[in-house]
Amino acid sequence: MDSIVVSNIRQRPLRSAISVLGVALGVVLVMLFTGLTRGMSNDLQRRNSNVRAEIIFTRPGSIELTSASTNLSTKYVERLKSIEGVEAASPVILDFYPSGAFGVEQVEGVEWDSFAKMNNISLIEGHPPRAFDEIVIDETKASRKHPVGSTVKIFGDKPYRVAGIYSPESGARAKLSIEALQNILETPGKCTYILVKCKNSSDQVAVAKRINEQLPGNKVQFTRDVFTSIETAIPSLGIFLRVLVGVASVLSALVVMLAMYTTITERTREIGILKAMGASRRYIISEIEREALLISVMGLAVGFAFAAAAGFFIHKATGLIFEFGGLWALTAAAIGLVGGAMGAFYPAVRAANLDPVHALAYE
Amino acid sequence: MATILKAENLEKVYRVGKVDVPALRGVSLDVEEGEFLSVMGPSGCGKSTMLHLLGGLLTPTKGRIVIAGEDLTAASDSKRTDIRRRKIGFVFQRFNLFPTLTAEGNLRLAERIHGNGDDDPGHRREILRLLRLEDKMHHKPLELSGGEQQRVALARAVVTRPAIVLADEPTGNLDSENSAIVLKMFQELNRRFNQTIIMITHNPEAADASRRVIQMRDGYIVEHATTVRTP
Repeated sequence: MDSIVVSNIRQRPLRSAISVLGVALGVVLVMLFTGLTRGMSNDLQRRNSNVRAEIIFTRPGSIELTSASTNLSTKYVERLKSIEGVEAASPVILDFYPSGAFGVEQVEGVEWDSFAKMNNISLIEGHPPRAFDEIVIDETKASRKHPVGSTVKIFGDKPYRVAGIYSPESGARAKLSIEALQNILETPGKCTYILVKCKNSSDQVAVAKRINEQLPGNKVQFTRDVFTSIETAIPSLGIFLRVLVGVASVLSALVVMLAMYTTITERTREIGILKAMGASRRYIISEIEREALLISVMGLAVGFAFAAAAGFFIHKATGLIFEFGGLWALTAAAIGLVGGAMGAFYPAVRAANLDPVHALAYE
Repeated sequence: MATILKAENLEKVYRVGKVDVPALRGVSLDVEEGEFLSVMGPSGCGKSTMLHLLGGLLTPTKGRIVIAGEDLTAASDSKRTDIRRRKIGFVFQRFNLFPTLTAEGNLRLAERIHGNGDDDPGHRREILRLLRLEDKMHHKPLELSGGEQQRVALARAVVTRPAIVLADEPTGNLDSENSAIVLKMFQELNRRFNQTIIMITHNPEAADASRRVIQMRDGYIVEHATTVRTP
């Protein structure tokens, strides 16, 4: 197509490429950050939703975002089982070790039989952890080159043999026997919390009330409140994302504005010719906006492609999970297009208002 | 023949710093439809200023311009642009083709701005044949000689059937051979399509191609268009 818009873009390939990359950068920022937040949050939600127990019985302050205490006696397990409405109770130690893309990963110590039965998970390969140096892992962790029989380093350089792989994902991706973790933490007979499964899920409020009455001084929470999304756990994350979107918008607009401004300056005489030919202000502005929009569209395509590729390779390398949402993709597209259009508007108006005689004489 | 352009007592004063510089000091001019008129004079005599006024690129300090019944001086900027789009075609000394477009693209751009698209392909073909451009249309300006570029510029100026073609030193950047070719094209357009042409030049040989010559000096017309020169 012999179009002045297309030919102008092709005539200045380096500048056009830089403008496209500027728009793409805004798109990549939005897509990768929101994709990572959604991916990690949804992954956590998925794993937490597979914890079938309705109630968590623990000591106050024993569970934080990246730390947990082991200060609850496992003797509470039998006492909880005797409370009306309780179907099962299973102790869990929650601990963290330095590893992974975020620098820390969770590990749980469980009584495998009661835990697996309560949460409806099963081993698809291998056997439960028996020895103190055995762990079972979920399919996601296993897919990163950790088959049964391989070793995983936990707590620094200590190797643990992968004894089994379970499904579905539930809680921490790696689980030891509770005795093994009690041994490591030197907390025999202790756990972080006890999961309580109700006979009837709709009775969980009443059961929780009974637990509070019969075992006062402890903390009784519902799993639906404890195992929450990352956005709820970190409220300022939403603010951060909005600020990021704003920064991406400004970035795209600035890049396009600078590119168009430079282009207009170089093409002053061409604008004078257009005016001499009778091109109206509206025509000149629309031509420049069309060029900016074409650059923006190309920037969107490059940005989406790069974000998808980057998400794929980062996941492969680090295990971080990306989930790209349609709404955020639309937001990123709007940022690219609106940012590009707005960025080009001032140079376009400036071009349309050039004095044609001076523009024609411009060297 | 009807009067297609009437300029009355045109004055143009430029403000340069704190000094007023008069470029035109009261110029009146009548141009009939189908005339081929040359405007000659030394540098700084006001011929380019007059051309820009006649083309609506400048507004006069005083005076009146009427083109094909439309008052240019009373019009707003957007209205002047509209009149220029419909009634004026420009040819420049430096050709001023769009370098990123082919010859064909330059013509189509003019048609798109004019808004007539491919309304009259027959007229278009005839112009291209007359200007000997049929096999040049897919070339970009850098691939064309100076004379060919000027012929493309001329085609671009006339393809939309303007009332008047304003040519600012159209042979100024051409050698004598190409100048002669381009001037002959002007004559053919004038003769074949009755195209009204006002050409600025400082070259007497170029002026000889036209039918009427007026001389300007210091912002005045000093030799009015009473002498008819037969090409």
